[in-house]
Amino acid sequence: MVQPLLDIAGLNVAFHTYGYRAHVLKDVSLTIPEGGRVALIGETGSGKSVTAKTILGTLPANAAVESGAVRFAGRDVLTLPEAERDAMKGTAFSIIMQDPLSSFNPVFRIGRHLDDVMRFADRRLGRASKEQERTRQIHAVLRKVQLSDPERICRAYPAQLSGGMRQRVLIALALLHQPRLLIADEPGTALDVTTQDEIMKLINRLVAENGLSLLMITHNLGVVRQMADDIYVMRHGEIVEHGALRTLFTAPRQDYTRQLVEAIPPLYGPQVTDQPPVATPPIVELAGVWKTFRERRLIGRGSAHDAVRDVSLSIRQGEIFGLAGESGSGKTTVARMIMGLIGPSAGTISVAGTALAGTVRSEAFRRLTQIVYQNPGTSLNPKRTVGQTLSVPLTFSGLERARHGERITRLLRQVDLAPHYVSKYPHELSGGQKQRVAIARALAANPKIIVLDEPTSALDVSVQKNVIALLQRLRDELGLTYLFISHDLSLMRNFCSRIAIMLKGEIVEEGEPKSVFAAPEHPYTRALIAAVPVMAEEEERMKPSVSLEERRRFLVDAVA
Amino acid sequence: MNTTYLDVLVRRMIGFAGVLFILSLMIFVLARVVPGDPARIALGPSATQAQVEAMRQEMGLDQPVIVQYADYLTGALQGDFGRSLISGKPVMPEIMALLPATLELVLVTLLIMIAVSVPLGVVTARYRNTWIDNTGRFFSIVGVTMPSFLFAILLQLVAANFIADWPLLGRVSHTLDLPPGPTGLLLVDSLLHGRGDVFVSALKHILFPALALAMAGIGQVTRITRSAMIEHQRRDHVLTLKSFGVPDRVIIFRYLLKLSSIAPLTIMGLEFASLIGNAFVVELVFSWGGFASYGLEAILQKDLNAVMAVVLVSGFFFIVANLVIDVALLVIDPRLRFKEAR
Amino acid sequence: MSLAAAPEPQTLTTRYMAWYRFTRNPAAVIGGLMVVSVVLAAVFAPLIAPYPDHVGAVVDFRNRHAPPSAEHWFGTDKVGRDILTRVVFGFRVSLLLVIGVLGVAVPVGAALGLLAGYFSGLVERIITGFTNVMLAIPPLVMALAIGNVLEPNLVNAMLAITLLWWTWHARLVYRVSKSIAMEDYIEAARLAGASHWHVLTREILPNCVSVISVKTTLDAAFVILFGATLSFLGLGVKPPTPDLGSMVADGRQFLPEMWWGVLAPGFAIFYATLGFNLLGDGLRDMFDVEA
Repeated sequence: MVQPLLDIAGLNVAFHTYGYRAHVLKDVSLTIPEGGRVALIGETGSGKSVTAKTILGTLPANAAVESGAVRFAGRDVLTLPEAERDAMKGTAFSIIMQDPLSSFNPVFRIGRHLDDVMRFADRRLGRASKEQERTRQIHAVLRKVQLSDPERICRAYPAQLSGGMRQRVLIALALLHQPRLLIADEPGTALDVTTQDEIMKLINRLVAENGLSLLMITHNLGVVRQMADDIYVMRHGEIVEHGALRTLFTAPRQDYTRQLVEAIPPLYGPQVTDQPPVATPPIVELAGVWKTFRERRLIGRGSAHDAVRDVSLSIRQGEIFGLAGESGSGKTTVARMIMGLIGPSAGTISVAGTALAGTVRSEAFRRLTQIVYQNPGTSLNPKRTVGQTLSVPLTFSGLERARHGERITRLLRQVDLAPHYVSKYPHELSGGQKQRVAIARALAANPKIIVLDEPTSALDVSVQKNVIALLQRLRDELGLTYLFISHDLSLMRNFCSRIAIMLKGEIVEEGEPKSVFAAPEHPYTRALIAAVPVMAEEEERMKPSVSLEERRRFLVDAVA
Repeated sequence: MNTTYLDVLVRRMIGFAGVLFILSLMIFVLARVVPGDPARIALGPSATQAQVEAMRQEMGLDQPVIVQYADYLTGALQGDFGRSLISGKPVMPEIMALLPATLELVLVTLLIMIAVSVPLGVVTARYRNTWIDNTGRFFSIVGVTMPSFLFAILLQLVAANFIADWPLLGRVSHTLDLPPGPTGLLLVDSLLHGRGDVFVSALKHILFPALALAMAGIGQVTRITRSAMIEHQRRDHVLTLKSFGVPDRVIIFRYLLKLSSIAPLTIMGLEFASLIGNAFVVELVFSWGGFASYGLEAILQKDLNAVMAVVLVSGFFFIVANLVIDVALLVIDPRLRFKEAR
Repeated sequence: MSLAAAPEPQTLTTRYMAWYRFTRNPAAVIGGLMVVSVVLAAVFAPLIAPYPDHVGAVVDFRNRHAPPSAEHWFGTDKVGRDILTRVVFGFRVSLLLVIGVLGVAVPVGAALGLLAGYFSGLVERIITGFTNVMLAIPPLVMALAIGNVLEPNLVNAMLAITLLWWTWHARLVYRVSKSIAMEDYIEAARLAGASHWHVLTREILPNCVSVISVKTTLDAAFVILFGATLSFLGLGVKPPTPDLGSMVADGRQFLPEMWWGVLAPGFAIFYATLGFNLLGDGLRDMFDVEA
């Protein structure tokens, strides 16, 4: 048998915190053949990043490897002397880090990071490199990751680069010394879909061109299909299933894997749900709305930025209206104007038959629109119990105290939470439960419209599915109107009755999902749909085709 | 980029000018509500009522308060803070003569503070939770909590009992004749004139007062440097460098140190205020004879004009120090430049 | 080492984690005990002090400048009064000062900081602007100036310190409440129809409590220090009230021979400030806040 490049055998890792031992990796075994592409998938907290850190030797101080071996090309790195182990970093295996925003020291230039990594790796290899020589090599690698102006990149501070550019630099960092194994820890997760797609294609190409092996760590099953041949599914620190890509996706053996696969909303094909169109009078109307943010400076000219340009739209009563777009496209600004939190710079907005003038609104009117936020961690006050949070809208809508308990119980039941949750604090709840409480709070105000600001993007896919089902049911039962803001097109395809695509403050396309996805008119819509990671080859084929030139043109995160 | 620096600086300057203006207003109002007539204080209890009235007119006290304030402000802008009520001499020249002594003390103190606390902060963070860390933290907490006057007195007691011929009081030995100017800082002037004897004597004299004055700052800055280092150690960017095998010493002394100098630098501005305050105590204990001693004397004798000048001059130095710190922060932290520019 | 199996991470409550951090921190526990001892000494001073009548203007020249002995553990001062007695009663004065200053400065500062952090625009600009001016004044210089205008006594020292102290709390609470005011749950409460009063007192304030309490504990140390410095310079509490700062100033005239006259009250101040500081540090680690 050929020796695998990486062979993890019976790995047990535990963390010691607050006097407790948390067993985070349980008997994990995993092999990567030379030149193989392996994916490790799992939800938040399943232990996939800890696995990567164990390989790299960057576990935090309170973690202990209790048993097992990590053999790289036959040598157990866990028993190697530290100097030898350090010598492997960046040269034998490299990592592409997860969050590009915090992965660089903010007060040093990008070039400094690259040069230091290169210099010390060279030194460990016993090479004395000249600075000029290193700079030449660094520039070459930067060009390889499609950063066409390496000098500017090197001179820039991390905050001066876009997320996509930083992610590319992180890839360059991993490629400085031609490692044999590339570990990619959720690359591009924080980025927009089109950028993420570019990053994936880039990694794939580099792996193929340089004959590298890849360990892809991700929670996104769509990404896995493009990036790996062999898949390990991890849950609560255990590998629950392992198999080749095809068999695992089409015939998963474990229930958990099946759940994961089924939780992904389809983009095309027979499984897609069509929401019936709604023919009711509009409840929200925007006509020629602009929003300009100005910035004042004392010396020099301040800049003005049009967040929303000439947007007109109408949302019908009982509709699930999807507003899609990438970060900075102005979709949240539109929602905030509809809620009356900010006023438009020009144009008119009317909600439920009342024209909004500026931000001045009566309390009763304010309760007409409620919101469910993206991040369950910040949408509930950590110092208040579920009951206290839910009683706020009740108190201020004039409901007498004596009837709060009964109403809160009913609200909790509506969002599928047991009555005893009334006394729980947010930190005692899971992300999905917090999001349910946030939905209950929105309902408590008896609104007509609920703005859903990416309500599921911070949740694991399996939880996401349940929350969406809940929202659907509530809409049907209570006759609510939803404004659904998201960048997740496959979710919107199934959940919305109408969608609008925003690009740089403008709505570029609008219509029923069925027709928009079948025949997108605007090239940006095509680029956006083409970038969505999908689960099956058939879906991939049904995506609209985009020319390279078009893709480049609408990549919000332009390549330097 | 240049306009960004300029923009930030001009903003700060305007802010600080406003602060100084309001400070002058406050101290002026305060001085006017004082029970007791400044003219009476100036002339003493034996003066007749007519003499007091004449003095009031001369000092402009018969004018409306607004006019008095305008006059005062005009004078202050030209460096004229009026005459001392006690000695009758103009206030400003006296302060200018005493300022170098205090300035020298403060500068040496800052030097000691940075030289001790930054390495101590780094070392305690690096060897976190070991005996090195515990010792370092104990010293820094002692520095923060021990009253300056107690520390000053302890140093004097040590010098008096255990170090032979160590000077306890004053800036320099009386027996030496001092080099003339140009800075008024003895350590600098003596070197400029090649006077080794004066330099050594001044250095011996300044060491303990500066140490006593530095103590509180050392504690504070060590503490903040340490916690900033620890805080940044667990950030992703450290993990990035570690994953690629950049040695710990480079991570600490290059990457973390610069990032961790932002927090202590920011509090240095406020620390400077308590430094000025503690200078009053230390100058008293060591008979330093500087600006702070003058201020204390003025306050105890209710010499209003001098007190007002002392408060404003301290405020001015505090503001200059903060301006310097702001510029330093702009240089160190590029994020500030982008944020203000955006 | 056998450890209990970890419960699911969510069942480790913040309270448990805070208590765990506190009890694993011997310095914090020691600091807490020191603070308790100071408070007990101050409260029960008449019962503890060996010569309770030495608090006032008692003169006993036969015993003046007596070194520490079995009768007088900390020796006697220039008029023969027992220094231990005066130190114990000195704690009373120090704690009164702390209560007087922080009792006013903390609520006022916190309220202003809260308002400035929550309401943007004019309210924010006025309060932060004023706070910045106050912070530009070297506190001791200003306190001296005020102390000079008014008669030096305990109440006026309190007044002078309070006038400057609130700014620190305003600044801190402003910073914290400003970041909390931007959280989604605040906007959600407003959208649910909650009044400004509700948002300020029920939504934001509870999130500031830990920061305020840590800062207040640390501040107790600095108020004691500050008050002692004022009276050491002759502008705080005047004799015969037994104040630790003026006792040090008194004793200084008889150095280096009568060292106990300085060291006893000097280290008493240090003991109290160290205790409050260690406790405050421990609380800071415990609540995991920056104060």
